[in-house]
Amino acid sequence: MRRSLLLILLTLSACESHQQQISIEFDVAFNGEAIGCDSELPVALTDLRFFIHDLELTAVDGAVIPARLPRDSAWQNGVVAFIDLENGQGGCDDGTPEANPRVVAEVAGNVDLETLRELQFTLGVPFELNHDNPLEAAPPLDDASMHWHWRSGYKFLRAGVETEGDGFWFHLGSTACQGTTGNISGCDSPNRPRVELTAFNPQTDSVVIDIGRLFNGVDLEDGVTSDCSSGPTEESCPAVLATLGLGTEDPLILDGLFSARPIQTTASR
Amino acid sequence: MKRALLVLALLLGAALWLMVPRPYDWGLAKGIPAPDVPVNNPMSQAKVELGRWLFYDTRLSINGAFSCASCHVQALAFTDGRARSVGATGDLHPRNAMSLVNSAYASRLTWANSLTASLEDQALTPLFGDNPIEMGLGGLEEQLTALFRDDERYADLFREAFPTQERPGTVINMVRAISAFTRSIVSFRSPYDAWLAGDAVAISESAQRGEALFFSERLECFHCHGGFNFTDSTTHEDARVARFGYHNTGLYNLGNTGAYPADNPGLIDITGKRRDMGKFRAPTLRNISVTAPYMHDGSIATLEGVIEHYARGGRLIEDGPNAGDGNVNPFKSEFIRGFDLSDSEKQDLLAFLVSLTDDAALNDPRWSSPWADVTAAGEAVTAAETRQ
Repeated sequence: MRRSLLLILLTLSACESHQQQISIEFDVAFNGEAIGCDSELPVALTDLRFFIHDLELTAVDGAVIPARLPRDSAWQNGVVAFIDLENGQGGCDDGTPEANPRVVAEVAGNVDLETLRELQFTLGVPFELNHDNPLEAAPPLDDASMHWHWRSGYKFLRAGVETEGDGFWFHLGSTACQGTTGNISGCDSPNRPRVELTAFNPQTDSVVIDIGRLFNGVDLEDGVTSDCSSGPTEESCPAVLATLGLGTEDPLILDGLFSARPIQTTASR
Repeated sequence: MKRALLVLALLLGAALWLMVPRPYDWGLAKGIPAPDVPVNNPMSQAKVELGRWLFYDTRLSINGAFSCASCHVQALAFTDGRARSVGATGDLHPRNAMSLVNSAYASRLTWANSLTASLEDQALTPLFGDNPIEMGLGGLEEQLTALFRDDERYADLFREAFPTQERPGTVINMVRAISAFTRSIVSFRSPYDAWLAGDAVAISESAQRGEALFFSERLECFHCHGGFNFTDSTTHEDARVARFGYHNTGLYNLGNTGAYPADNPGLIDITGKRRDMGKFRAPTLRNISVTAPYMHDGSIATLEGVIEHYARGGRLIEDGPNAGDGNVNPFKSEFIRGFDLSDSEKQDLLAFLVSLTDDAALNDPRWSSPWADVTAAGEAVTAAETRQ
């Protein structure tokens, strides 16, 4: 009797600790076309790195399945994952040779992966981790080039393109924060957009971020490389922030900013 | 036997006395409060010394060509003489390099960032920031720790500065040491300080008249540049509260909308509050005679020009992209009302400002480059070898 109880308990705890891993691939496009650091002009990538957290999947019956982002040695810390889609080559020479196009997510073992149909995640670093000192943080939050020391938080996303005689780069992060570094009490513009892919199969699809859509409101042919650091007075910012639904009552989120694409297509490209 | 015990007790006492950590000696005159120091970075002579080597080391930059001292030159009260600073790779900074002297007493650092209250936090921006690139150390952390481990001098200096740590040669300790060195740069040995302490002839009669003008309600200078460090953003060890303030001084008024140039809007960039347009922190006026050009963007070349700007109650820019009358900037400080000043009064005010120059600090070997001696010695050796 006692032995069978023990067995049941062991089985239960084994069930509880059993997790299924899902690997979600990310890729980048420019108005639907492939783009990379080595792309030939008229348009090439100069940067694309971002943090995500609070990943959730939705099953066909509407059940929302939260996913963990288990800690690894470099790209995930249990809460946040860091996606790096540049490789330090070509126009991405401010970047790093290491790249990381995927998130490894864990869902509870009793979820039938076949039934998952939607993906949601939040861009950025959650407030609880956003205002710590990057020099004392564990990976991936130890990367000083993803930190905005003067705004006392992380750059949630760095994205940039180069066009002929022109270009644009964009850094997203929380602004209008109160308190002092180490004791930030809140930020008026948290700038953490929620991304929702309503037709996404984690077993067959990758997530494509389209920088052409992100920079839709930017003039990439005016001969001036401009930028936006999410500042409240920067002229270039409203158009870009609006495409993420930020800083405006009237968001301009374009179809295809984030989209699902079958992985086979990615592989055969 | 008794005597032997007494000797033993004395020896023990002496040993204990030697083991007690000495408080750091700031070298401050009587009456000057000690700076407030973060609890996680206490001052020590060894740490300041390590910070001095780091501060002047060009290996702490993306291209090995640049050090903290490139923009913070001791003879210029740790400014660089440029209107706007230039980083290691040629990026033009939107701002003028601030003096580091007495930054230990600053309740907020830099020109317009209410978030940055400690040198340790501030240091990360010039060290690791990439917009603009100043030192450009982002991504070079492993290279730095290798240097601190493999270079014998640094291995020793880090061990002495952080004696309880097993592997002290870390990037965060680098930041702590540079901050401790910067914090150690205190300046209270100007002729004006000597005059305050009772030396009646330390400053001229003209400077004394200038002092009276400076502290008058007519000129209002002291509202923002008051206190022992001549800035309203001052704190110290015994301060009840760390006061700080930001002020729009009517330097710009683009299109008479109140706006400042887009690359330098002031505190609004941090707070997002419209009322913070054009607001900047009042810098210390100590050593102000050697820190030209002036203002957050170096847009006024001389101290005379600064006085004229305040006398007019704001600057008039007649044409160009920055055209507008700063005098009617809607966000301007209530203390910038303008005043009439005769030529002799202006000379008096200038004489007072010049009397705040602390030559002892600008030449103090404790804050000069330690590498000069090493390099000279190295060159001497090379020359000797060449001769052989």
